[in-house]
Amino acid sequence: MQSKLVSFIQVLRSHDVRVSPAETLDAMAVATTLGYANRDLLRDGLAMTLAKTPAEEAVFLTCFDRYFYQRLSDFSRAQELADDSSRPETGETGNEPGEGAAAAGDAAPLAAAAAADADIAALLASPLMQSLVDNDRNELTVAIGRAAEQVGLRQIQLFTQKGQFTRRILDAMGEEQLRSAVIELERQESPALAELQRYRDILREEVRNYVEREYLLHAEGRTRQFMDEVLSKTRLNNIEHMYLHKVHELVRKMARKLASRYSRKRRQVKRGQLNMAKTIRRGIANDGVMFNTYWRQVRKEKPQILAVCDVSGSVAAYAKFLLLFLYSLQDVLPKVRSFAFSSHLGEVSSYFDDYPVEKAIELVNWKYGGATDYGSSLQDFARLALDDINSNTTVIILGDARNNNGDPRLDLMQNIYQRSRQVIWLNPESRRVWGSGDSEMLRYQSACHFSAECNNLKQLERIVEQLLKSTH
Amino acid sequence: MQIDNFPQLASVAQIEQGFESFGYICSTKIATAVFLACQLRKPILVEGPPGVGKTELAKTTAQLLDLPLIRLQCYEGLDEAKALYEWKYGKQLLYTQVLKEKLGDLLKGAKGLAESVERLHQFGDIFYSEDFLEPRPLLKAMQQERGAILLIDEIDKSDYEFESLLLEILSDYQISIPEIGTIKARTSPMVFLTSNNTRDISDALKRRCLHLYIPFPSVELEERIVRSRVPDVDAQLRHQLVEFVHSLRQLDLKKSPAISETIDWARSLLLLHAGQLDEEMVRSTLNVLLKFEDDIEAADAELRALLQGGRPG
Repeated sequence: MQSKLVSFIQVLRSHDVRVSPAETLDAMAVATTLGYANRDLLRDGLAMTLAKTPAEEAVFLTCFDRYFYQRLSDFSRAQELADDSSRPETGETGNEPGEGAAAAGDAAPLAAAAAADADIAALLASPLMQSLVDNDRNELTVAIGRAAEQVGLRQIQLFTQKGQFTRRILDAMGEEQLRSAVIELERQESPALAELQRYRDILREEVRNYVEREYLLHAEGRTRQFMDEVLSKTRLNNIEHMYLHKVHELVRKMARKLASRYSRKRRQVKRGQLNMAKTIRRGIANDGVMFNTYWRQVRKEKPQILAVCDVSGSVAAYAKFLLLFLYSLQDVLPKVRSFAFSSHLGEVSSYFDDYPVEKAIELVNWKYGGATDYGSSLQDFARLALDDINSNTTVIILGDARNNNGDPRLDLMQNIYQRSRQVIWLNPESRRVWGSGDSEMLRYQSACHFSAECNNLKQLERIVEQLLKSTH
Repeated sequence: MQIDNFPQLASVAQIEQGFESFGYICSTKIATAVFLACQLRKPILVEGPPGVGKTELAKTTAQLLDLPLIRLQCYEGLDEAKALYEWKYGKQLLYTQVLKEKLGDLLKGAKGLAESVERLHQFGDIFYSEDFLEPRPLLKAMQQERGAILLIDEIDKSDYEFESLLLEILSDYQISIPEIGTIKARTSPMVFLTSNNTRDISDALKRRCLHLYIPFPSVELEERIVRSRVPDVDAQLRHQLVEFVHSLRQLDLKKSPAISETIDWARSLLLLHAGQLDEEMVRSTLNVLLKFEDDIEAADAELRALLQGGRPG
């Protein structure tokens, strides 16, 4: 049973539930403590150690039902197998006449056909055929399981492979014999044909079901990992809307990474303890009487981030993702103010706080979308936030710097640059076209501490890492 | 010594009964969690909406086992000096004073500086020792002779870094103090952590805990809870009021009424001698259930439909 638990945990992992080896041990301890008798109790207990969020718990419950449903029939089988091992000597030889008598009524045409053809007789004697004739589902399931093991069904990755694996399993089970027998009977127009066809269909159906279940258990998760991989390398404007949700998760993961680094750095300066050395040193003036106590400074440096995002038509495809990044950032970092602009600029932090991500992005697009005017937007920004910019502030600007040939107001940008700790400009356009046409990027670049091209998640991640290294 | 040799926690069913005798009606899942926590000596991380009895679970366990309940309320900025231990600075300073006065006697007859320093090294170094240690909740829980129930309340309110501080305590039931060494728990306490899910808890912390999610209870369970807490309410009214609260939870409210509010409401209705729910009575007592003006307005508009048992369209 332990090995079953382990392979169940494999299944969970492939469904994105993260289970560490320590948790595996916990799960075993839980199973030992609770026993296997009460299914619900065991399920609840395992859920507590293996699933760590309500979402994971839902996944867990589905997997548990799928997995242990299948194993249950297998289980009863295991006992029979044990019986079997003691039976074969008597079974193999002794059974044949008995079975012939019992199945005489049903399998009469088949028996007749077998008597006429040595091949069919051999086929009927095969264990596969026997289990089909006896309608022994357990025997059949075990045989399918064995064949699946042989052809490596666990490696199944994509749903397109289902047919291929079904065929391979059938071949491994010796379905070929059955098939050729059917063709043979067809040629002879034998009355046993319908019977044999029925068996063939049952077998195919069973194998197909088995593959389907295994696919759901093993491959679904892997397909998802594959998707994640692809998504993070695709240019943001090419990602379909339907994957927005998935990308959100990826971005969130990234923003989490960012946030945890932030807090680690902050801790170093944050300790409230007696500064013994200083207390003694200062005490010398009072003849060594430590009259005043001195404390290690609790300096809680709160970094502030102001994020400004262009949502105009020229970056419409990217804006969604830039906003997504903004949203996630605000979600995980304590002090982020977000702004959006095209022709004018406004603060959108409250949208992000109040609404779920899709709704917030929609609202921002609706309110601030339009033609770009960097000049007046910067003016708005300066009016709203310039007073708050100090040496602790990082300003992140997301936009393509295409200003429709208007006044870029570089002076404002320089003002921001001088006051802040860092100005970062992320441009979705490739570096080669910066400065071409109405792009003011090269000029704005002069007033940035750091500017970079950013149009897929991998790049974004790299920039975030760099940013963290340089800010602290 | 371990905490798992309590007869009260011998089986899941027994825990359920034990809790019930203290007026805490729980689902089998909750009892299973407590059973496992005790058998495997692991902390429980309890999550769920506010007011479903997360804190109450720890309190009841403490009552059931007759152990002291040590509670640590988390908040932003909570650090080790407030959660783990603190040095008794005042006494430490006095100690240095005393030491200075005694210093002359102790060093009498020492020739030269080297010998004085030599002698100084021979004294026991008690400046940083357990005598000058002021235990805070976490350390206090470790020091209890018979074990304790440690409740770390609203862990999601604390900072990320505080979580990593807890890791050592939660997995090994010990605390490392740089100046002294490692202090192991005399009896490992039973730990409950609660979270309202205002932020994600770090994976490292989650991995060390059993994860228990308590949702709002089913109608039957909530009726049993009300019956045990407010036994005087008659059955029909009880059923009505629980049904009403459940339909309120279907609305989009800022804060859905929790179990504690259902109980408060049952008590208020009892005080007002309400025989059954009518619109006027509900309207005038709605502020017991709902804590936001917006919510009250929203519910007020739907009141009639809600009272007729229909779900608002």
